[in-house]
Amino acid sequence: MLDVTLIQDLPIPLAARFTCQAGELLALVGPSGAGKSTVLRAIAGLSRVREARVLVNDECWQDSGRGIWRAANARTVGMVFQNYALFPHLNVVDNVAEAVHRLPRLERRARAMQALTTVGLAGLEMRRATQLSGGQMQRVALARALVREPRVLLLDEPFAAVDQMTRERLYEELAVLRTGLKIPVVLVTHSLHEAHLLADRMVVLRHGKTLQEGPPDEVLSRPNSVGVARLVGFANLFESPVVACDTADGQLRVAWGGTELALPVRRFLPPGSVVAWGITAGDVVVVKAARAAGDSAAIALTLERAAALGDSVHLTLRTAVGAERVRAVVTKRFFERAGIEPGGPVVVELPAERMVVF
Amino acid sequence: MDWEALRISASLAAATALLLTVPGILLARWLAYSQRPWRSLVEAGLTMPLILPPTVLGFYLLSVLGTGAPLGALYQRLFGAPLAFSFTGLLVASLVFNLPFTVMPMQRAFAAIAPELLDAARTCGLSRWRTLWRIELPLAWPGLLTALIMTAAHTLGEFGVVLMVGGNIPGETRTIAISIYDRVQAFELQSAANMSALLLLISLAALVVVSQLSGARRSERGLL
Amino acid sequence: MQVSCGREIRYHAAMKFLGLALTLPQLFQVLPWLMLLACGTANGAEQPNIAAAADLRYALDEVVVAYERASGVTARVTYGSSGNFFSQLQQGAPFDIFMSADEALVQALARQNLTHDAGDLYAIGRIVLFVPQGTPITADKDFTDVRRALADGRLNKFAIANPAHAPYGRAAREVLQAVDLWALLTPRLVLGENVAQAAQFARAGAAQASLLALSLVVAPPFEHAGTYAVIDASLHQPLRQRMVLMRGAGQAATQLYAYLKSPVARAVLRRYGFTLSEQ
Repeated sequence: MLDVTLIQDLPIPLAARFTCQAGELLALVGPSGAGKSTVLRAIAGLSRVREARVLVNDECWQDSGRGIWRAANARTVGMVFQNYALFPHLNVVDNVAEAVHRLPRLERRARAMQALTTVGLAGLEMRRATQLSGGQMQRVALARALVREPRVLLLDEPFAAVDQMTRERLYEELAVLRTGLKIPVVLVTHSLHEAHLLADRMVVLRHGKTLQEGPPDEVLSRPNSVGVARLVGFANLFESPVVACDTADGQLRVAWGGTELALPVRRFLPPGSVVAWGITAGDVVVVKAARAAGDSAAIALTLERAAALGDSVHLTLRTAVGAERVRAVVTKRFFERAGIEPGGPVVVELPAERMVVF
Repeated sequence: MDWEALRISASLAAATALLLTVPGILLARWLAYSQRPWRSLVEAGLTMPLILPPTVLGFYLLSVLGTGAPLGALYQRLFGAPLAFSFTGLLVASLVFNLPFTVMPMQRAFAAIAPELLDAARTCGLSRWRTLWRIELPLAWPGLLTALIMTAAHTLGEFGVVLMVGGNIPGETRTIAISIYDRVQAFELQSAANMSALLLLISLAALVVVSQLSGARRSERGLL
Repeated sequence: MQVSCGREIRYHAAMKFLGLALTLPQLFQVLPWLMLLACGTANGAEQPNIAAAADLRYALDEVVVAYERASGVTARVTYGSSGNFFSQLQQGAPFDIFMSADEALVQALARQNLTHDAGDLYAIGRIVLFVPQGTPITADKDFTDVRRALADGRLNKFAIANPAHAPYGRAAREVLQAVDLWALLTPRLVLGENVAQAAQFARAGAAQASLLALSLVVAPPFEHAGTYAVIDASLHQPLRQRMVLMRGAGQAATQLYAYLKSPVARAVLRRYGFTLSEQ
C-alpha cells in the first residue's frame, strides 16, 4: 500500500493526501499546473517537498517529521515519463537492462528480454531507442519501469505523446498488463476519459490540493464541490435562492428562471439562503415541444445557439426570466427531426436524480 | 624548428588537458545542474581569465607563485626550487588560464542533456557515478572532447601569461609561441615561419575536429 | 539513424584514444605517472642558464658555441631586457648567470644577497644611429639629416628600446635629449621591448631610423641591412655592462662564468664592439 501526505507553500503549493492499495490503479487528475507531476516526482524522490510522508508497505521512504529521506535511486519505483526519457545512446535491451544493473551481466540481459517479451517487444531488442515509434517507446519505458520489480509504478501522462489510434491500443494493453501487477499504480493524467477508462479510483487535484477522491464514476457524476464539478465537465452550474427545505421528505425547492425546481436534499438549508447546484449537459433531457405541453416538470426555454459537432449538436438555451443559460446535447438526428431553430422554443426536463447539490 | 620548445609546448598542452579533465567535468556538471545563488558568481570568476588581459593574469599569478609569495615560498621550501619560471609553475598558470576553455564547452555539453534522462536514471536506481559513467559521459562526450582539444590548442598558443610567469628559459619554459617571438627578434625568420606554419596547421586541425564534433552533437539532438 | 550508430562507434574510439576506457581508480593510478612524464624530462645533465641583455644576442651566441666546442657543455641563453630579467631574478627565476646591460641592476641584486659576488664589468656599450637599407636618410652622428628628415616628412617612425626598463632605451633617451630631439621625436617613437626588438623594427623598415646597440648592427644579420653611425659616448651615461654569477649556481655555471672572463671570450666580444674603454 502507498500512503502519501504532501504539504508545502512554496515553490508549488501542495496539500495532497491519498492512499493507493496494492493492485489498485489510482489516477491523479487535474488541470495542467495542478501539481500532479510534482506529486509523482515527490513519491519517486525526484523533488523534495517541505512537509512530506511517503510510506510504501512497511517501508518509510520519506518522513520530514522524523527526518527520514530515501534518495530516488534507493526507492525502487518504476516510473514512466511523459516523453519516455529513453536513453538515446543505448539500444532497447540495454535501456531496460540498465534498470537492473545490480544483477550479474547475464542475468541482467535475461531479465530485460523477459520484460520486453511481456510488453510485446521481443525482436526489437537491438534497435536503438530513437528508432522506435511512440507506442514502442512507451512499451520500452514500461518494461524498464517494471523490470526491477518496483514497489510502486508511477505513470506520468504516459499517453500524451502518442497519436489517438495508438493511444486506444495502449489503453487496452495497460488494462491487461495491470491485472498481473500486485503493486500500487499511480497514473497522472489531465484526461477524465483516461481516468474513467483505466482507474479504480481517482484523486482530483487543483492548485496542489486534493479536492475529491473516489471511484471515477462517482467523482464524475457526483462531484462534491463546484470546483470539482467544473473540472469534471459540469456545463450547467447555478446558484439559486432556497424557497423551502424539508429534510424529512427530501425536498429542496429553489427559485430558478422564473419557476421553482425540486432538488435532492443533502443537508438542511434555511429558506432565503443560496445553494449551488448543477447538472451535466448530457443529463439535460430535451423533449419535443409538442409532447411536453402541460407537463409540470417541463421547462420552456429559448434556443440561443446550436453548434453541430460530429454526430451531436450542442445547444445553448436561455430561460425567459433571469436569463439563466442551460447547455444540453442532442443527437444530430433528433435536432433535425425536432426542427429546432435559433430563437425558437425548446422544452427540457431536469431529472431530479441527475441534479447535484453542493 | 625549435624541437625543444615544441616538446615543452606539447607536454604543457597534454598535461594541462589531462589534469583539467576530471576537475573540469566535475565543475562543469555542478555549473550545469546547480541552482544555488552563488553559482553565477563562481561562473563569473571562472570566466575571468577569458577577458582579463594576459599581462594582468600573469602579474597576479607571478605574485602568487613568486618566491616572495606564500605559495611560491612553500613550494620553494618543499622542493628546493622556485615555482615561478619553472615548468611546474607554468603548468600551474596554464591550469588557471585554461579553466574557462575547459569548463565552458563541458558545461554546455552537460546542460544540453535532457533533465528527464537524469531523472529516469535515478528512478532506474543508478547511483550518481553510474549515471555519470553510463548516461552523462556518453551523451556529453563530443562537448568534453571539444573542451580538451580547445584547451590543448589554447595552451599551445598562449603567449602573454607564459612570458610573464615562465620567462623565456630554453628547455624549461620556452614554449613554441615564445620561441617564435625569440626567433623573430634574432632575425631567424625562416625558423619563425616554420613554427608559425606548424601552429597554424595545428589550430586549423583542432577547429576542424571541433566543428565535426559539434556536428555530431547537432545530429544527436535532431534525433531526440 | 546511421549518424547515431556512427556516434556510438566514435564514442568508444574517442574513449580509447583518451585512455578513458580505464575505470576511474585506474585513471587515478595512471595520472601521476603521466604527470611525471610531462614534467620530468627537462632535467638531464646540468646545463647552465644565462639571462643576457639583448645587445649580446649575436656576440654571446658565438661565445657559447665556442665554449661548447671546447668543453662539451651547452649553455642555454635567454635574451631580453635587463630590467625584465632583474624583476624575474627577484622572483626566483632559475638563471645561473646574469649578463646585464646596466651594472646598477647587478649591484642591486648583489645588495639583496641574490648573487654570488659583486660580479665583473665585461663591456661598455656603444650606441649607433641606424638607418635601414633603402631609406633616404643619412646616418650621421650629429643627427643633421634626421633633423631635416623630420621636418620634410622623410622620417615617420623612430625606434628605440623601452627606456622604462631597457638600459639601451634609457641611453637612447639621454642621447636624444642631449641633441634636443627628444621632444620632437616623442610622438614618432616606436618602443621595442628590448634593444633587439627595436633593431627588428628598424631592420624591417617599420621605422626609418633608430638608436641601437653597436654590437647588434655589426653582426652578420645586419650586413647590408643598412648604414649606421656610432654616437659620441659623451652624450649619454656610460652603458657599463656587468655580469654576475647568481647565488646557488652550480659547478658548470661557475666554469662557464670563468670562461666568459677569459681572453678568448673577451676577444669575441671585442669583435662585436664591446670594449672596456670608454672611447
